[in-house]
Amino acid sequence: MVMTTIPENAIEVTCFHTWKGEDGIVRTKIKPGSEVTVEYARENSAAVNSLFTGKKFPLLIDSRGIKSMTRDARNQFTTKGRETNTLAFAIIIDSPLSRVIGNFFMGINKPAVPTRLFDNEVEAVKWLKPYVK
Amino acid sequence: MTNLKETYSHKRANEILEVVMNYARLEFQNKIEISEKDDVFDAISAGVNMLGEELESSTISLKEKEHLLKEIHHRVKNNLQIISSLLNLQSENAGDEKFLAMIRESKNRIMSMALIHEMLYVTKDLSQINVHNYITKLCNSVYQSFYTKDCSIMFEYDIDESLFFEIDNMIPVGLIVNEIISNSLKYAFPDKKGVISVSFSKNNDKYILTAHDNGVGIPENFDHKTSKSLGMQLIHMLSEQLDGELLVDSKKGAKYKLCF
Repeated sequence: MVMTTIPENAIEVTCFHTWKGEDGIVRTKIKPGSEVTVEYARENSAAVNSLFTGKKFPLLIDSRGIKSMTRDARNQFTTKGRETNTLAFAIIIDSPLSRVIGNFFMGINKPAVPTRLFDNEVEAVKWLKPYVK
Repeated sequence: MTNLKETYSHKRANEILEVVMNYARLEFQNKIEISEKDDVFDAISAGVNMLGEELESSTISLKEKEHLLKEIHHRVKNNLQIISSLLNLQSENAGDEKFLAMIRESKNRIMSMALIHEMLYVTKDLSQINVHNYITKLCNSVYQSFYTKDCSIMFEYDIDESLFFEIDNMIPVGLIVNEIISNSLKYAFPDKKGVISVSFSKNNDKYILTAHDNGVGIPENFDHKTSKSLGMQLIHMLSEQLDGELLVDSKKGAKYKLCF
């Protein structure tokens, strides 16, 4: 498993590190063992939105190491009914637990933007690249 | 080692089962603890926890919708009752028998629909009405509106108690029954004594409604298909709406048979 390297300028909130890569893709990486509630999800949304500079962007979510996510938090991430600066979500999953949570975003809590699950960052970035404006 | 593993698996499986059984009882307070192991039991537990949250949310939203639907049926029934009361007020000072009869007929038509909405909000099932209960209540209500002291008309019912209809079918059936019963009460018994029989059953895929009285029968020169009376026109129009076939017979009283 290749771990995403967190740069120094990443925004740190309770459960996530978030930053924009040179390739134009915004990355958000969950902290290991995080139990994500709606408050923490909102913190992360604010962090992601702060990287908006006039152009919408694709988002890579590294969910490896997550412990749980409440329903309200999942709904927060779907961006349904809200303005969003994101164009697509690629969610990296590896463990059985992150696979389960990831699959909720493919059906029950489907985000408003195109979403796919990946087990490695290379494939995820490849899929997100066409969304970079 | 194997024993330890078995004990662990057994313990985790039982924890999951306990919560699944709680969810089956629609009790959502308990969640399964997720350990640091990040193993398959944690994955199943996380999935069960999240499905529980979704089920709880759907259950709440369903209850809210049911409550709303009850409220709507209640309000529709109240509004229909207000219209009926307005007609009452309008007829209070009228002496014209024809006008009063017209008001009574209109009130009965409104009541036959209001009764459906009332039955829908007082029963547990918000979408279906028991045909037997509805038709007997309806006939009783129509009879009350025609009742006078010297009136002695009996009703006989042979209605399949297992039949349930949705509102879309119950309204036309109710209005048809209302018209047929009203005709019998108005014209069949000059001496105000007699019997009206109503039956309703299902045969293969067809519903069969019959209503007949043992009164004086329909006049020979009366053509129910071309009649200009609003009641007969309604019976034909609503029978067509149900894709039904209507037969009217006048031997030994008036007899209506509708297959749909």
